[in-house]
Amino acid sequence: MEIFRYSSDAWGQTTLEGISWDLLPFFLGMGALVIVVHALIKWLSARNQG
Amino acid sequence: MAEQHASHGGMVKRHAGSDRILHWLFAAGIFFLMGTGFLPIIGVQFEWVTLHWAAGLVLLVTLFLHIWRAWMKVRLRTIWVGVTDVRLMLDSLAGKNARPGKYSPAQKLMHLGVSVLVLATLVTGLVMMVKVDTPFWERNLYLVSDGIWGVIYVVHGLAALTLITTIMLHVYFVIRPEKRLYLRSIFFGKISSDEHRLHHDSEKWAGD
Repeated sequence: MEIFRYSSDAWGQTTLEGISWDLLPFFLGMGALVIVVHALIKWLSARNQG
Repeated sequence: MAEQHASHGGMVKRHAGSDRILHWLFAAGIFFLMGTGFLPIIGVQFEWVTLHWAAGLVLLVTLFLHIWRAWMKVRLRTIWVGVTDVRLMLDSLAGKNARPGKYSPAQKLMHLGVSVLVLATLVTGLVMMVKVDTPFWERNLYLVSDGIWGVIYVVHGLAALTLITTIMLHVYFVIRPEKRLYLRSIFFGKISSDEHRLHHDSEKWAGD
């Protein structure tokens, strides 16, 4: 997975173009992971108390 | 909680109408910007550039209105993360009944995170507008070097990607059962006096 996007300028030199959009699933996945882990912890602690 | 609310009937004002309108304008603006920014990346092609920068300018005006409102009402301290919040978090972790003022440390951190990310996207977005033809100016591709443009695009993209995660968490935490009072308050402006007693320290915040 690339972290940055690169392109070539008029002289053929590599230039930074921006963040890689391949990271989009990673950021979505991180959000989903935190939600699932938090919901699981809350559910387990409620079950243990009840 | 609904039964408690019904039995006492007292309500505590949490958000003024203008603040609620600004919150939802902000939310609509961010969703619109994320849609016009990310949909073309995942293959939904349309003329997004003008829509994107115009919505960015609307969001900028909304941000100025929000800052002006917060400044005029001198409520900056209520949302600022401080030593008291660290103490509250430590007390909470230790199992003590630590109640915050108007905003909990988690809410303050969320606000701080969204503020930093939105400011990063807005500032870099404004600079990037130099490369776009608008009714106000002709584009200039050579304002800064290619390397600097690359850094500006990285900051804009990284902040926008991080906003996706942040907004997912914001929506998740506000729809959780124990936090729904805050969802209700951003629609109707109030929480019940029982909810206020249960979740807030009335010496720190007795209502707006």
